[in-house]
Amino acid sequence: MSSVTGQVAYAGAPVAPKRANVFKRIFNHRNDYLYVLPALLVMLIVIAYPVYYTIELSFFKTPPNLQMKDKIFVGLDNYWAILKSDSFREVTINTAIWTVASTFFAFLLGLGAALSLHREFAGRGVMRAVLLIPYVVSAVAASYVWKWLYHSDFGVIGALAVQLGLSDKPINFLDNVHTVLPSLIVVNIWKEFSFAMIMLMAGLQTVPEQLLRAAQVDGANAWQRFWHVTFPHLKGVSMVTVLLLMVANFNSFIIPWIMTGGGPAGASDIWITQIYTIAFGRQRYGVASAYAVILFIVMMTLGYFYVKALTKGDESRAG
Amino acid sequence: MAQVVLKDVVKNYGNVYAVNHVSLTVEDGEFVALVGPSGCGKTTTLNLVAGLIPMSGGDVVIGDRIVTDLDPKDRDIAMVFQNYALYPNKTVYRNLAFPLQMRKLPKDEIDKKVQAAAKVLDITHLLERKPRELSGGQQQRVALGRALVRDPRVFLMDEPLSNLDAKLRVQMRSEIKRFHQDLHATVIYVTHDQLEAVTMADKMAVMNGGFLQQYDSPANVFANPVNMFVASFVGSPAMSLIPLAAVTRGTEVALTSPEGWELPLSPANARKALNAKSPKVVLGARHSTVKLHKSQVPGSVPGKVYTVEPTGDITFAQVFVSSAILNISLAPSVQIRPDEPVFIEFDQDKMHLFDGETEMALKAD
Repeated sequence: MSSVTGQVAYAGAPVAPKRANVFKRIFNHRNDYLYVLPALLVMLIVIAYPVYYTIELSFFKTPPNLQMKDKIFVGLDNYWAILKSDSFREVTINTAIWTVASTFFAFLLGLGAALSLHREFAGRGVMRAVLLIPYVVSAVAASYVWKWLYHSDFGVIGALAVQLGLSDKPINFLDNVHTVLPSLIVVNIWKEFSFAMIMLMAGLQTVPEQLLRAAQVDGANAWQRFWHVTFPHLKGVSMVTVLLLMVANFNSFIIPWIMTGGGPAGASDIWITQIYTIAFGRQRYGVASAYAVILFIVMMTLGYFYVKALTKGDESRAG
Repeated sequence: MAQVVLKDVVKNYGNVYAVNHVSLTVEDGEFVALVGPSGCGKTTTLNLVAGLIPMSGGDVVIGDRIVTDLDPKDRDIAMVFQNYALYPNKTVYRNLAFPLQMRKLPKDEIDKKVQAAAKVLDITHLLERKPRELSGGQQQRVALGRALVRDPRVFLMDEPLSNLDAKLRVQMRSEIKRFHQDLHATVIYVTHDQLEAVTMADKMAVMNGGFLQQYDSPANVFANPVNMFVASFVGSPAMSLIPLAAVTRGTEVALTSPEGWELPLSPANARKALNAKSPKVVLGARHSTVKLHKSQVPGSVPGKVYTVEPTGDITFAQVFVSSAILNISLAPSVQIRPDEPVFIEFDQDKMHLFDGETEMALKAD
């Protein structure tokens, strides 16, 4: 066979247009900026100013009576105090366990649910609706329900464990420093896996049928088809889902606050509940602000990767 | 390579029959085109041969094995898809190696086969690229290569050229034909483009509405279409079909139009016309078998020019004859204008007659 098409061979990545000066680009797009200006102004007032004020407060020792004119500049003392404290280490470890475990298992469960719902079977619509319930139920209501399910005297889970012979007495899930965090993580996974499921179900619809058929003819079994065709297709949506779950988990407040308030003995304290306790429990706004700034930096790092994952998808679609 | 036999193959979804009792034999090394309009069941038939969808009835035999209940991977077939179906996250090399990896061949053997296939298809320089970095024609070669490495008993191709632009399609058409000749491969090729079928295939199976209409060499299908559907589907431009009525005048038989003209038939054609279930007879004529006259000659019928399409070496004219439009090819030197009255002379030896009721071709005996 002769050499083919007469088409120009692909020459690697497309050459990026020479980057113009930032100000010049803004000037060239001044009308576009004009259109987003109203939204930008509102955002500045409700987001940028609070962020700025939090950063400012983090450098001050603040009076508990909220008379902010009496605040005293202490430089980075608040930060040092937090970073050196034992509680910070514990809370950070809790937060890390909470975030990683919740994200990992919620994603895994969501993937399993999405894959099983992707096949045709009787009652699929009903199953899909049922599996969506955790996502639509209010977190506050769900937390109270789970608190009762876990209750050491009246809890259904403990009673079931006794009846099934798994335990000789009701289990004290929430008042035990060893079981409280895993118990809360279970609730969080239950609440979040539907979200991962929805995202991945949408992703699964984009896997081309012909590719799966080609793999079938090529001799791939069901697992190999998943690993070589389906999963690579889900990479983008998986990245986005994991990042969104991580952001949500770093920021979780409702489930730990309502179910345990961070207790017992700080065993279920994570960053957000800790910040809340410091600010509104102990009225130490400066320290709480410094704490919030640390969290903010972590979140912005995650956000950077999130936006990068999103725009990467755009580029490959455009290309 | 192997023979493929379809025995009374059926695929139905409730009352809808996508494939309706199709039987045909593809001989070892033969290139067979399944051709028909969209939704005629040709792709479903191919998927049944591949085993990608379960059959409702009948059997598929490849070589000496009944494969009806086997998985696609156990049928020893390779398939080329319309959208190429290359694995986007794998390099060309890994795409070619994939079917061999799935069969757990040793690495050095895989490498040998991949390099050999790449050489045959002239894609050695592309092996490290990802599919999205290739042109459509190159992707199509890789898809062919992935089928080739396996050395399957049968190649199944599902409209492999319809995503290519016109020029590339013509080029790839001859390359696939060459590919078939070099390998003596058994190929079943699905296309909606009758020109592809006619130019490439040893035999063509014309399908419509789930039924196999005709299975024969392209030349025979072209010369002796079994019914009006095949007549109008094969050939470009299509055969013109003019509904008329047969009348007997003593020993003679003629076709009459509602407008009142009569076309006397030759003895052979007269016998055909008399075999029709009713007087309704449809006259079929290919564009190259009719002559156009500016004045009446014996045996000609009146018509009116509708459009004139010069293409360079041939001018196509469409002429209203009775209630139908007749395609005629003319020398470019013939000067006619739209709406001009003309006279049409049919070649009695090359005209086709169909039963107006059953739409089947009429035979002389």
